[in-house]
Amino acid sequence: MLFGVGFVVGSPVGRHVARLDQEVVARFNGRLFRVPSRVLSAPTILYPGLDWKRIELRDTLARLGYQESSATSLEAGRYHWTRDRIRIHLRPFEHPTRPEPEHEVELVLDGTQIEEIRDVASGSELGAVMLEPETVGAYYGPDREQRELVRLGEVPRSLIDAVLAVEDKRFDEHHGVDPVRILGAALANLRAGGIAQGGSTLTQQLVKNFFLTPRQTFSRKINEALMALIVEARYGKDEILECYLNEIYLGQRGSVEVHGVGEAARLYFGKPVRDLDLAESALLAALIQRPNGLSPYRAGEAAQARRNLVLDLMAEQGRIDKASHDAAVAEPLRLSKVTPEASDARYFLDTLRRQLPESYGYDALSSEGLRIYSTLDERLQRIAARSLRSGLEELEKRYPRLRVKEGQEPLQACIVVLRPQTGEVLALVGGRDYGSSQFNRCIQARRQAGSVFKPFVYVAALEPQDGQPPAITLASFLDDEPLSIPTPSGPWEPENYDRRFHGIVPVRMALAESMNVATARLAQRVGVDRVADVAHRLGIESPLELVPSLALGVADVSPMEVARAYATLANGGIRPEIRTFEDIVDSDGHVLERRDIGFERVLDAGTAYLATELMEGVVDFGTGAAIRSAGLRGPIAGKTGTTNDSKDAWFAGFTPELTVVVWVGFDTPRSIGLTGAAAALPIWIRFLAGATGGEVRGAFLPPPEVIEVDVNPATGAVALAGCAESRPEHFLLGTEPTQTCPEGGYYQPSPASAPERAAAPPPRRPREHRGGFFGWLRGVL
Amino acid sequence: MVSVLLATSLLAACAGPARRGRARPYGATPPTPVEALRLSEVADEGDATRRASTRLVLQGLDADAAARPQEAVRLYERALQVDATNPWAYLALARYHAEEGTASLTFSYLDKAQALLGAQHALSPGVEPHLVGLRGEALLAAGRSADAAPLLERARLLSPSVWDDGHLSPSELR
Repeated sequence: MLFGVGFVVGSPVGRHVARLDQEVVARFNGRLFRVPSRVLSAPTILYPGLDWKRIELRDTLARLGYQESSATSLEAGRYHWTRDRIRIHLRPFEHPTRPEPEHEVELVLDGTQIEEIRDVASGSELGAVMLEPETVGAYYGPDREQRELVRLGEVPRSLIDAVLAVEDKRFDEHHGVDPVRILGAALANLRAGGIAQGGSTLTQQLVKNFFLTPRQTFSRKINEALMALIVEARYGKDEILECYLNEIYLGQRGSVEVHGVGEAARLYFGKPVRDLDLAESALLAALIQRPNGLSPYRAGEAAQARRNLVLDLMAEQGRIDKASHDAAVAEPLRLSKVTPEASDARYFLDTLRRQLPESYGYDALSSEGLRIYSTLDERLQRIAARSLRSGLEELEKRYPRLRVKEGQEPLQACIVVLRPQTGEVLALVGGRDYGSSQFNRCIQARRQAGSVFKPFVYVAALEPQDGQPPAITLASFLDDEPLSIPTPSGPWEPENYDRRFHGIVPVRMALAESMNVATARLAQRVGVDRVADVAHRLGIESPLELVPSLALGVADVSPMEVARAYATLANGGIRPEIRTFEDIVDSDGHVLERRDIGFERVLDAGTAYLATELMEGVVDFGTGAAIRSAGLRGPIAGKTGTTNDSKDAWFAGFTPELTVVVWVGFDTPRSIGLTGAAAALPIWIRFLAGATGGEVRGAFLPPPEVIEVDVNPATGAVALAGCAESRPEHFLLGTEPTQTCPEGGYYQPSPASAPERAAAPPPRRPREHRGGFFGWLRGVL
Repeated sequence: MVSVLLATSLLAACAGPARRGRARPYGATPPTPVEALRLSEVADEGDATRRASTRLVLQGLDADAAARPQEAVRLYERALQVDATNPWAYLALARYHAEEGTASLTFSYLDKAQALLGAQHALSPGVEPHLVGLRGEALLAAGRSADAAPLLERARLLSPSVWDDGHLSPSELR
């Protein structure tokens, strides 16, 4: 039609129209929208026995957009909570490999515990229920627009009617430009003495948003009209409407622009667009005019008035009947709880991006609308962020010298939490404020390890190699006397933190008290090269210089490397691959990428167990004893770390289910004058207390190759009947002491083969975990 | 004592002939057949967390049996999310990867399952055919049929009803 109005093809006007046509075609035939890829958390799993209060179930439901209802008959996305039960109508969860159907479940409560879960429809008992994952962030382009693309078929009729009623009631009749509407608007504006009503059709609005600047000029209006006619000539009404509904700007989530009805339905109502009712549809349509001025969160009354106007127009135009109109007008605004985007996870998002194959460049991530199912545990991430923030504030309050003037580099910290068995990153906070510094200290920083390196020395000493017995057992004693090692730069003479020498000390005490000299001597015995080899095997990737001081942690490493190495110990000597995502799904639901769990045995389970026992000593009676003072119970192992001049403070530790590393320091290294126990450990404790509720689950269980033997604590000899004092101690099979107490007693030394050894007579004990050294220590105390 | 013996014999068996460089690591005496373990038998064992995790493993095996392997894997991973120290989840993953023919992952998951079973004193005689047989299956997939044969033979002798075909199906493990 447009092309038949008499334009001469070669004329300037004709050429202009042809150029506009090309522009329209290029845009519509290409990628219409840049859709940022979303990162989703691991789903929350509910099961009998779980403490719903500890996992903050109510908050989780709110963040997922579930609305509490007083009615017992629920629609999807609502829940009904009474004293002893919760009914949740779960939404369907779309995923190509693990979809969850929409269903209603009932959780029977016993205090804060979930006692039972039932499927309401079938009445059958359920072992576990998954809530859908939460969006933890997205990779935005420079425009910082977020949208969830929807097909027209997904959009409820009520929303289409509401939008047409208020924005373009003659949409089905015009060809892109509506002279009737223009005339009406002109008259209205004339009467009002200004711009009171726009004359643009939906198509013109779409064209304006797609191709033109917001400037109100005559030439722009002409182009807008021409392009609207072109669009209508080339594309169907449904295509145009779908495009409009996906493009329209509908508000802000923090600094991110929310575009399209799909994303807006999530923002305002926490539900997919297909589930919107009439009142909700009318509200969305009402916001199109002034999304921020009419924000229902900030201007509830105005938003409600405009919504009711939309409902009036719908009734006037015969799009709804009176009863529906009246019912919807009577509805109060029911909005989802405001959940600002989790900025806490942005360091994690950066970490994840580094793990993606190169084909996922920033342009692809910010435009292709991928869904990335991550390993992030939303609850642990929040606890980690909270612990880090409040921990640093507390430090600055207690030690005012740590506060800096505005404009100077503030005290920093980072925390990384891994699941040791799978290497999954459950939480990661790379600094105190992503907004002011995107430098990810967990990944990008290389800081002196200090004493968190020492366990690698003890692992090297505990590990048998090449058929030779290990350098030490847990019953051994170490020499903490002055030491001088010649080096090219002069003699190296390590000192202890307390500037004292402790003489002959039990090996457990040497690590628990972080004794430098005893550890340096031990490293000399086993060889610095072996120490470095152990560290590399466990997960340290940074280069390690083979110098005597390596034993005390002069090497620069990242907190993530330390976390991985400690996770290997927690995992019984099996080194996990770091994993930040499970799979990546494209906008059509195809899985593009999968990341499987990966691990490799790099240390025998017995040695890993014995090293873990040593590190439990740090927590039970050593430099990490504040953990017990804080009331944390259960199996916990770890190590404090303080570097030269106290420039870096660390605490790295683990439970059977979590490995957590905290680092504190300044980006440009300078002394903070505090130990790891004083600066990093309080943050670590805050995190673990929040994550576990104070009671750590599970146990560090000795593997079959570890046996328990009574020894004399004074000498380390096997304690036989008649020995004045004895306590149980753990040994790798075949490494028990050969000396006895009393001396000269009969003790069968280790036979060669394991089955025979297992049949050997006492004093070997069955392998149940009786508390070992610490059980004995507790008894003595 | 029994568990030490079993554990050490399993360690020896599962270390595999490749490491030892001999074709038949077992003596001439055929092993006594045992009732092969089904995971539904251990569904109610452990604390609430373990039970929930094991139930997810069972759901995964159901999905696997219904030819929805990807869903099965994710359910096993969810089981690990609930309880990462659940050996049955690793065993189910090892079974899945043995069937897929990804030997390296099968070995890794078997190692992990075995380490946890050992540490948790759960190395019952009924689990041995699966540990030995799956390792044999993985060796076969890796093209090491000479190493695989004695392990698969031992699994068959231990549990003819399950391992007669040299394969552990999801329903047989369930």
